[in-house]
Amino acid sequence: MNKYQVNKVMRQIIQDPESFQAFKENPAAFLEKQSLSQEERDALMRIDYPTLYAAGVHPFLLNGFVNRVWPGERAKLRAEYRAKIAPLGYPDFST
Amino acid sequence: MAKLVEIIGITHNPFLPRLIKAPNPDPVIVKTAKDYDWMRQKMAQARPDVLIVVASDHLNQWFMDNMPAFLVGKAPSTEGPAPVEIRAFGLAPYRAKIDTDMAKGIIREGSRLGVDFAFSDECFIDHAFTVPLNFVRPEMDLPIVPIWTNVMAQPLPTSQRFYDVGQRIREAVEALPDGTRVGVLSSGHLAVEIGGPKTSDYSSDTEFDRRMMELISAGDAQTVIQEATYQRLVKAGNVTPGFLNYILLMGIAGGTKPTATGLDFPEVTAAMHYMDWEIDGGGAA
Repeated sequence: MNKYQVNKVMRQIIQDPESFQAFKENPAAFLEKQSLSQEERDALMRIDYPTLYAAGVHPFLLNGFVNRVWPGERAKLRAEYRAKIAPLGYPDFST
Repeated sequence: MAKLVEIIGITHNPFLPRLIKAPNPDPVIVKTAKDYDWMRQKMAQARPDVLIVVASDHLNQWFMDNMPAFLVGKAPSTEGPAPVEIRAFGLAPYRAKIDTDMAKGIIREGSRLGVDFAFSDECFIDHAFTVPLNFVRPEMDLPIVPIWTNVMAQPLPTSQRFYDVGQRIREAVEALPDGTRVGVLSSGHLAVEIGGPKTSDYSSDTEFDRRMMELISAGDAQTVIQEATYQRLVKAGNVTPGFLNYILLMGIAGGTKPTATGLDFPEVTAAMHYMDWEIDGGGAA
């Protein structure tokens, strides 16, 4: 996974309201326009945070991205997030 | 020469302003509000003409496409925080003029002294600046010189480098020709984890917090530098390198013992703390 490119797209969705809307409305179409591999697109589209975390994307940006786009309840997300990434330890998040 | 009059370091925890205003706040948060008001008074009593503010950027502005290690802002003015932070934390805005003469002076003297600062003529300040500024100088009446540090994107400068850059900033300020009174405000944090397994509503490493504040209180910069390796910092919590700004602050203070420090553990967020150096009796000088 290209950590830099994934970080960049997560940051864009966090910061830019138009990108956020585009991602919410049609994630596949939005992600198609970004410099990403199919594996990276799939992980972002599914908000597959364990896969992204294990790949070493920046945890600060991952946290911001997931909180911004997660469709469900926040308290539940928080508990699940911790449980799912705990076994993954601390992947190297340098780019 | 320009003269340092007060040096203060406090957290930029973005939850803090909201926690202070919450109904029935945690008693430690109530104490922190008083401590930070004391810091405000101390800075006011030191009668600075300008504030050098050393803080980080949370990948809101600087990013891995072009990452500065240490950057001086020299735009005519600056403001913040980022819209995304206003939305997430309900933070108050902050606006300030930049003392561009001093900013350019620090860049120029820095080069002579061995630090080639990056600079920016168009910059905004994120919560790492706006939170401490709103506590310590809510009047928004002083020009600032913002200095950004990279504590977010590896590879980071070492703890020794943060200290050395702090020393060079002090020397650069003291080399400036006029008699400007300079206050220094820096923000950072102790152990914090965000987006990792230890993310919680409490300090991610109280042992680290106690140890580092004990060493800072003793003015033991050498041991802080030795112990605050990147590995130790991220073991304390994956974004703990924000602590490095306090090492830079120790460098500005010339390795001296602070006048006052504090450390408290609220039940609702990471450790609260402050460090303050009165220079030559602060306001008395």
